[in-house]
Amino acid sequence: MRIGVFICHCGSNIAGTVDCAQVAAKAALFPDVVYATDPMYTCAEPGQAAIEEAIHSHKLDGVVVASCSPRMHEPTFRKTVERAGLNPYMFEMANIREHVSWIGRDIEANTRKATELVRLAVEKLRHNRPLQAQEFPITRRVLIIGGGVAGIQAALDCADGGIPVVLVEREATIGGKMAKLDKTFPTVDCSACILGPKMVDVAQHPLITLYAHAEIEAISGYVGNFSVSIRQRTTYVDWSKCTGCGTCTEKCPSKKSYDHFNEGIAPTTAITIAFPQAIPKKAVINKDFCRQLNGKKCAVCAKVCPTGAIDFAMEDSFVTENVGSIVVATGYDLMDWTIYGQYGHGRYPDVITSLAYERLMNASGPTGGHIVRPSDGKEPKSVVFVQCVGSRDPAIGRPYCSGFCCMYTAKQAILTKDHIQDSQSYVFYMDIRAPGKMYDEFTRRAQEEYGTHYIRGRVSQIFPDGQGQLTVLGMDTLLGRPVEIKADLVVLAVGIEASRGARELAEKLRISYDAYGFFLESHVKLKPVETNTAGVFLAGVCQGAKDIPASVAQGSAAAAKVLTLFARETLASNPQIAQVTAKRCVGCGKCLRCCPFGAIKSSLVKGEEKAEVIATMCQGCGLCTATCPQGAIQLAHATDDHILAEVNALCRL
Amino acid sequence: MPALANNELRIVGFLCNWCSYGGADTAGVARASQPTDLRIIRVPCSGRVDPLFVLKALLNGADGVLVSGCHPRDCHYGTGNFYARRRLEVLKRFLPILGIDPARFSYTWVSASEGQRWQKVVSRFTEEIHALGPAPRFEAVEPLAKACSWTQESKGPVSVISPELLEQLKKAIADKLPELDCVLGWQEGRDLLHSVPLFIRSEDDLTKLRCDATCHNNLVRYLPDLKGQKVGIIVRSCEARSVVQLLQEGLISREELVVFALPCQGLLDLPRLEEALGRYQRLEDLTLTETTLRLRVDGQERVFQTADFRQSRCEQCPGELPAIADQSFGDFSGQTASQTLPPELAFLDSLNLQERMGFWRACMERCILCHACRNSCPMCVCRDQCIAESREPHWQSAEASVKEKFFFQIIHALHLAGRCTGCGECQANCPVGLPIFALRAHLNRIVSELFDGYQAGCDPKAVPPLLTYSQEEAHIHERSWE
Repeated sequence: MRIGVFICHCGSNIAGTVDCAQVAAKAALFPDVVYATDPMYTCAEPGQAAIEEAIHSHKLDGVVVASCSPRMHEPTFRKTVERAGLNPYMFEMANIREHVSWIGRDIEANTRKATELVRLAVEKLRHNRPLQAQEFPITRRVLIIGGGVAGIQAALDCADGGIPVVLVEREATIGGKMAKLDKTFPTVDCSACILGPKMVDVAQHPLITLYAHAEIEAISGYVGNFSVSIRQRTTYVDWSKCTGCGTCTEKCPSKKSYDHFNEGIAPTTAITIAFPQAIPKKAVINKDFCRQLNGKKCAVCAKVCPTGAIDFAMEDSFVTENVGSIVVATGYDLMDWTIYGQYGHGRYPDVITSLAYERLMNASGPTGGHIVRPSDGKEPKSVVFVQCVGSRDPAIGRPYCSGFCCMYTAKQAILTKDHIQDSQSYVFYMDIRAPGKMYDEFTRRAQEEYGTHYIRGRVSQIFPDGQGQLTVLGMDTLLGRPVEIKADLVVLAVGIEASRGARELAEKLRISYDAYGFFLESHVKLKPVETNTAGVFLAGVCQGAKDIPASVAQGSAAAAKVLTLFARETLASNPQIAQVTAKRCVGCGKCLRCCPFGAIKSSLVKGEEKAEVIATMCQGCGLCTATCPQGAIQLAHATDDHILAEVNALCRL
Repeated sequence: MPALANNELRIVGFLCNWCSYGGADTAGVARASQPTDLRIIRVPCSGRVDPLFVLKALLNGADGVLVSGCHPRDCHYGTGNFYARRRLEVLKRFLPILGIDPARFSYTWVSASEGQRWQKVVSRFTEEIHALGPAPRFEAVEPLAKACSWTQESKGPVSVISPELLEQLKKAIADKLPELDCVLGWQEGRDLLHSVPLFIRSEDDLTKLRCDATCHNNLVRYLPDLKGQKVGIIVRSCEARSVVQLLQEGLISREELVVFALPCQGLLDLPRLEEALGRYQRLEDLTLTETTLRLRVDGQERVFQTADFRQSRCEQCPGELPAIADQSFGDFSGQTASQTLPPELAFLDSLNLQERMGFWRACMERCILCHACRNSCPMCVCRDQCIAESREPHWQSAEASVKEKFFFQIIHALHLAGRCTGCGECQANCPVGLPIFALRAHLNRIVSELFDGYQAGCDPKAVPPLLTYSQEEAHIHERSWE
């Protein structure tokens, strides 16, 4: 073999703590190495050109680049060597930046370690064989999980791009959190007016199949060919018959049902349609409050339903959909703020969440848009907003900022003044985070035009004063003195957390999630909507806090990724898959038992049972290789010989 | 590679590409300063890490080995790390019997976002390895010239099959023979004391059949080679377990097999008997009862108490027969397994780590790499494809050093983890008398501890524990790095 080695300086990133020239000089002495150099920036255009040039002039048949993590630039350099006529798998990388230069300052030790890592890569490369990718057909349909604004945007963009969409929504209606909002910042335009048409588009689009009140049961397969089992949760209403006329909701005698859509600010009936613009506009029975389903005689809804859609015997059903790609847009939930004793543990009816306040202000809400106190139905004249309730609070394990609360609090203060001219709003804040376009101007308007009193500091206690008002004690840290405000209503800007069930879903999808349950993007800057699982993309708050414009942008970005993926009829398979040496296989089937993908089958070779790898199903984990006692099944590019060569390069004394 | 300068030690890390390698990258991006000793080998999944890689590294000069994968339930491939957890835990508990400090090996889970955790893991592990200092090199340790003591606390009888029972068995085999290609049994070997396998294909062959305490070859070893033929086999408890294990692994087919079961009280330990007997020219007569063995050797009458020469493994034999017999002969009641450890294992347990390594070092000086242990093992089904002798994959060099010989023993032992039915043929056939059964007995002990008393070869429907997993492991308590 003729190997060329390139020790990248990465500017001073590597060269600052590694003697790259010395590493190159030592690498030149390694077996089969015929050329070694230390360019300044290997990944830059001249650096890549130099690799190509070296391949030609030194007749190289393998290349090692020692630079950053292969998770970053392995694909880049594989393309480089391919352009110069080499097989892309005749390339290895040594990670001397993240694993060497950035984690220690001892130049001597770093140089030694870098040299050894290069040796490791050279030894591995000596065992590499050219690998050829195969083409396999893909299912050009996409699954979108979550019908909030991010999911809706992704669904519409994909469908408009000609890709059939399967949209799965856990609630009875799509729309997500945005559908609950009254107005949106910074334009103060009506949320329903901008989201509503999009929801209708989803319902009417011929390429979108909507499963509402449904959840993901199981996912199998891989990029291009996922099989998804969807659990259609029982609604007790046959949606194929329900017309959404609402007669049942008018007649239902069980009127104390918790109203999830309205955040519980007023009770509702056991059979409900979430809100007038719901998509799909279908009724759902809340099992916990339905008389008939709790052993009492009732069935009023069944009697009044003009289409006979009520079915008390309904059970969950399952549908399987085949898709080639998945967009996850599962959004967020509010954290449980009642853990805070200083805000009353949820005992005071006039201490509410900002999302409940949105429903109070909303014309389609239970109060018809009149802001009233939940306790006595009176108009509040003094409203206190408390920010960062469960955000930026390491004491309860939530150090992250929820991102959009500063803005909606300003909006709510403005709207409060619009609704109740003689009201006064107060905002307790830690910092005002308003970095978006027109955002800072907006928060200033809240203060300067609408007279909202902003107090920098935390609230220490809220308690009823016994005369129908709440006493809010806090600290004004700018003035350095305590403040006490009499409030008719307190609105808490409750922090967000990962959507209920996010972790379980991540496991089904085989994508990573962070310590708080938010899904992990493939690269924080350069691959913000990709995950480490090919074909699975992220959109919206499920990846981390963001506001509506950012969620919509991500929805579109994820859709663009799906359309890119589906721009071709076929996908190239990863050739780094298991291969069986039939001669060595004794047909014991241990690999078959372990394979997580069912990618190994037993087939007869000259009358003997042998393992056979199904190339399109193998994902290249190598579990079979570690399981096979004879070493008959080997994961290409990570064979026993590859890893032994690496171990021996490190350990043989 | 030059030996490491300064006081750096040799630490090898196997990191899965998706989580831990990413976590190490995250730590790098965060400029989280770490010791420089660790060298990382990137693997697709922790499930790709064959425990033999770890041992290869440890035997070849690594002072510490760290495996890190995705957190359980967070595996990029779904289940790879569940398998890894079982296999690596078995490995960790296996190391001490070899004389390797288990603290030199650790496995853990670090996700791609846990840069800080990675920094902590690397720093802690490196500190711990430094506290242990450089690892003793197998080829450089002082050989420990200490022999294993074979004396046992409880002593039982050995197997004697009455002539009537033997006739019954012969008749049953004769009845079945027309529909079988052959039946496996034993016959007299080079003299009355030694038996060799008998392949019964005719009624004439049947006259040579013997089935007493001298017949120790585990006939199950031949079954995988006879796949496709209709075969009868005479089994006792230990052979029956081997049959069950091969059935579990699908290497033999139940439909092709007719099982004739005999009870067994115990077998004679021939190597020890030969030692007591000394050199002799001619063995003229042999009379065996349950308690005494009378031999006329070179005209001299020699009497031995069979209890003194009962095979040590027979003490631990559960006695009862797995339910696979087509035809049973004689009385199967009465035998219960003793709770005592096999003497070779008890002996190794009594040594400290350094002594154990020295002991194996001395053993490996004597090992002649004849592979008799492997060739007589009913579970070694790889035959000519054993990785100890293959070029691709090239696990072992051709060098007959103590290290390579030891590695061969390790390959054999680890390939039996969760599969060894404890027949002891490996040790019984060792021409230089190495107590290698201790390695298997220790593995069996580990498997039993970790997997609710699992014993290989007892239930044809059971799944071998290392070929499955559970999401929550009841007996695996991974270390915390806090």
